[in-house]
Amino acid sequence: MKIIVCVKQVPDTTEVRLDPVTGTLLREGIPSIINPDDKAGLEAALRLKDRYEAHVTVLTMGPPQADLALREALAMGADAAILLTDRAFGGADTWATSSTLASALSALEYDLIITGRQAIDGDTAQVGPQIAEHLGIPNISYAEDLRIEGNTVVVRRQYEDRSHILRAEMPCLVTALSELNEPRYMTPRGIFEAFRDRTVKILTRADLAIDDGNIGLKGSPTRVMKSFTKAVRGKGTVVELDARDAAGWIIERLQEKFVL
Amino acid sequence: MAQVIADRRDVDFVLHEQLEVGQLARHERFAEFNAKTVDLIISEARNLAVKEILPTQKEGDEQGVRFEKGAVTTPETFKRVYDLFAEGEWLAMSEDPEWGGQGMPTTVTLAASDYFNGANFALMMYPGLTHGAGKLIEAFGTEQQKRMFLKKMYSGKWAGTMLLTEPEAGSDVGALTTSAVPNADGTYAITGQKIFISGGEHDLTENIIHPVLARIEGAPEGTKGISLFIVPKVWVNEDGSLGKPNDIVCTGVEEKMGIHGNATCSMAMGSKGQCHGLLLGEANKGMRAMFLMMNAARLLVGMQGFCCASASYLNALNYARERVQGKNLMQAFDKSAPSVAIIQHPDVRRMLLNMKAYVEGCRSLLYYVGLCEDLKSVTADPAEAEKYQGIIDVLIPICKGYVTDRAFDVCSLGMQVYGGYGYIKEYPQEQLLRDCRITLIYEGTNGIQAMDLLGRKLGLNKGKAIMDLFGEIQKTIAAAKQIDATAEFAARTEKAANKLAEVAMHMGATAMSEKVLNAFGFAHPFMEVCGDVTMAWQLLWRATVAARKMPQAKKKDLAFYEGQLRSAEYFTNSILPITIGKMKAILNNNSAVVDITDEAFGAK
Repeated sequence: MKIIVCVKQVPDTTEVRLDPVTGTLLREGIPSIINPDDKAGLEAALRLKDRYEAHVTVLTMGPPQADLALREALAMGADAAILLTDRAFGGADTWATSSTLASALSALEYDLIITGRQAIDGDTAQVGPQIAEHLGIPNISYAEDLRIEGNTVVVRRQYEDRSHILRAEMPCLVTALSELNEPRYMTPRGIFEAFRDRTVKILTRADLAIDDGNIGLKGSPTRVMKSFTKAVRGKGTVVELDARDAAGWIIERLQEKFVL
Repeated sequence: MAQVIADRRDVDFVLHEQLEVGQLARHERFAEFNAKTVDLIISEARNLAVKEILPTQKEGDEQGVRFEKGAVTTPETFKRVYDLFAEGEWLAMSEDPEWGGQGMPTTVTLAASDYFNGANFALMMYPGLTHGAGKLIEAFGTEQQKRMFLKKMYSGKWAGTMLLTEPEAGSDVGALTTSAVPNADGTYAITGQKIFISGGEHDLTENIIHPVLARIEGAPEGTKGISLFIVPKVWVNEDGSLGKPNDIVCTGVEEKMGIHGNATCSMAMGSKGQCHGLLLGEANKGMRAMFLMMNAARLLVGMQGFCCASASYLNALNYARERVQGKNLMQAFDKSAPSVAIIQHPDVRRMLLNMKAYVEGCRSLLYYVGLCEDLKSVTADPAEAEKYQGIIDVLIPICKGYVTDRAFDVCSLGMQVYGGYGYIKEYPQEQLLRDCRITLIYEGTNGIQAMDLLGRKLGLNKGKAIMDLFGEIQKTIAAAKQIDATAEFAARTEKAANKLAEVAMHMGATAMSEKVLNAFGFAHPFMEVCGDVTMAWQLLWRATVAARKMPQAKKKDLAFYEGQLRSAEYFTNSILPITIGKMKAILNNNSAVVDITDEAFGAK
C-alpha cells in the first residue's frame, strides 16, 4: 500500500504571544511546526505502515525552510519526502495550493492520500477536499478514526453531535483531525538518520504539468476584502455564587436570550 | 504561551553562540551533529519534557512512592512516561552506539537533560541512575558482562542503581561492612545492608541491576579493600535471559522532604544466604572505579539543582509579569494611578535579575564542562586532552557544590517573588525549593565538594589544572576588554580573578602548613569565591558574545542581548564586591572555627 501524506509547516500558535500594548500577535521568532492535524494524519499513515508495511511519502509545498518539517516527518518514520518549492508557487490561496499539490500527486502512485483537516494559520479546511476533486477520487473528511478493510478505507467521521461511519474504495483521500491519535515523538536516532541518510526530493515549477493560471498569486481567485482585529465589546458580568446558584443563573440568562 | 523549565532562547544561545557547538561537527566523531540536527533534538526533548514529563511533577510529589511487602509502587503517571522516554532512546544519549547509545556530544545531551530534569527530576533519577550503572559496566565490565547487561540497561528495559551508603558508612565509605565471599562457580555471596538507595526498588522495569560496593573476605581495611559487584534483582543468565529472583530485597523507603516520586530504599542482601554477585573490575579496586564515575554523577546532581533554579526563575518571571499589585513607585501618591504588574517594583526586579544572572551563569558553566568532555574526546593531542580533563576536574566540585548552593538560593527567591502564594502547594515554587534541597547533600555533601576542591583539585597536576582554568578566564577577560560595552565588567572580573589567584596560593600554602585545619575551615568559603569568579567569567563571556552581535542583530534578538549585558553588569557590580570581601576574610585566616572548643558551642 502506498500512502502520501500532505503536510504544511505553520507557526506554532501555542507559542505566539500578544503585544500587551497593541493586543496584536507577536510573530517574530515563533518556531515552525508541522500543522497538528497534518501530524495526526502522518501518525495514522505511520501506524498503517507499522501494521501493513505501507510505504509512506510525505509531501509539502512551501519555502525552502519547509525542508525541516519534512526531516521531522522522516525522523518520525516516513519513507520518502518531497518538497514543492518555487517562487512561482508563492501567494497561493486554497485553490492554487490544491491545484499545485494535485498536479504533483497525479504524477505519483498512491492508494491513500491523507491531509490534515485544516491548518492552524488559515483554518479553511478546503485544501484536502479540493485535492480530491482535482484528482477525481473519493474524499472522507474529519476522520477521528481510520482503518483499512481489504481495498477500502473505513473512517469514523466527526460531527458536532454524532459520528458517521463511512467507507471509500481506494484510491481515496481522507482529511485527519488532531483527535485521530497522539503522534509519536521523534527519537534522536530517527533525527540523525533523517539528516544523514535521507534526501528530500525537490520539485519546482518546471517539474509540474500545470497552467500558470492555477498556481501562485496569479492563480488564486480569493481576494481579501478587509482584515481586522476583533474588538472586545464591553466588560463581562461578574457574579459570585455557589455552583448550584451559578448554574441556575446561567440557565436564566440563556433563556432570556432564547438560546435555551 | 509563556516558556517553562528552561528559556529556549538561552539554551540556543549557549549552544550555538557562546560555545559554538556546531564546530564539533568538523570532527568525524560528531560529523552528523550540525546545527539543524541539534535544534531538532532539543526541540523534541523540550516537547517530551513539557507535554509528557512536566505534568507528572506535581502528581509525583503528592502521591509519592508506596512500599508494601517488599515492593515499591511509583506514582501512577510515571510508568507511561518512563516508557515513552526509554522507547525514545533518550537514556544513553552520549554513549557508544555499539552498546545502544546515541553517540551525541555531551554538550547537547546536557541541553536535552536541562528540559528533562527541569520537568521532573525525581522521575528522571530512575533513568539517570541506570545510565550511571551502565557506565560502570561499560568501563569496567568484561565483554561477557557488557553483552549481558548493557543494551538492556541503555534501552531502559532494565534499570540500574548504586549501592554505596551503609548506616555507619556514608561520607566515610571506607567504613563499609557489606561482605563478599567467593563461591565455587565464580560468583560471590554478598551479605549486608545498604541505605539511601535511590531507585533501589520500583515497578518501572522488569529487572534492576545494582552495582554494590563490598569487601571481599580478608581484604584490607578502609577504601583499599573495597570491590565492586554487579548484583541483579533477578539473576541474569550468560545468554542475557532472566533467571531466578536474587536474594536482594527492599526493606523500606524513606519519607523525605522532596523528590517524593523517587524511591529512597533500604536494601538487604543475603538475608537468606542466597544473594549472588559478579565481580565488576578488579578486586579491591572498587573505589577507583567509583572515582572515575564520580565526575559524571556530580555533574548530573549539579544539573538537577540547576534545573530546579531555572524552572523556578521562569515561573517567577511569568508570575511577576502577570501579577498586578501596588502602584509604580513613581506614581505612589497619585490616587488615580493604576496598579501595575509587580515586575515594575525595584525589589522584585532585583530578585529577578539576581536569579537570571545565576541561572545563566550556571547553565553556561555546566554546558561548558560538557564541551570540555567533547573536546577531550576528539583531540589527538594527549597534552590537550589532559588540559581539558584538568579543567573538568577542577570545575566538578564547583558544578556540584557551588551550583546547587546557588540553585537553592534561586529557588528561595523564586518563592519570595510569589509572596504568600509561593509558600502554598497550589503553586510550583515550594516543591522546586524542597526538591532542590537534596542536591546540596547527596553525591558528596557540598562540604565534601569544598574539601575535594581544596584537597585534591587545587594541587592537581602540580597546580597546572587550576592554572589552565585561570588561563581560559584570562582569555575571556582580554577579549572583553577590547569591547567598549564590556570593558568595565572585564576590569571588575580581572580584579576578582587576580585576587582569587592570590587566595588560591594562600589556601595551598595554609593546607601544607601547621594551620591545615584553618585551611579546611575555609574550604567552603574558598569554593564559594571560586564559584563567584567562575560565574563572572561565564557572564562576561556571554556579554562579550552579545555585544559583538548587537550591531547586526535582528530586532527580536536585541532584548535578549541587552539582557546578557545587564546580567554581567549586575553580577560584576553588585556581587563581585562581596566576593572580594569574602576573599579578604579568607586571607585574614581567622581561626575561630578551629579554636572554639566543643563545649563553647553551648547548650550543655
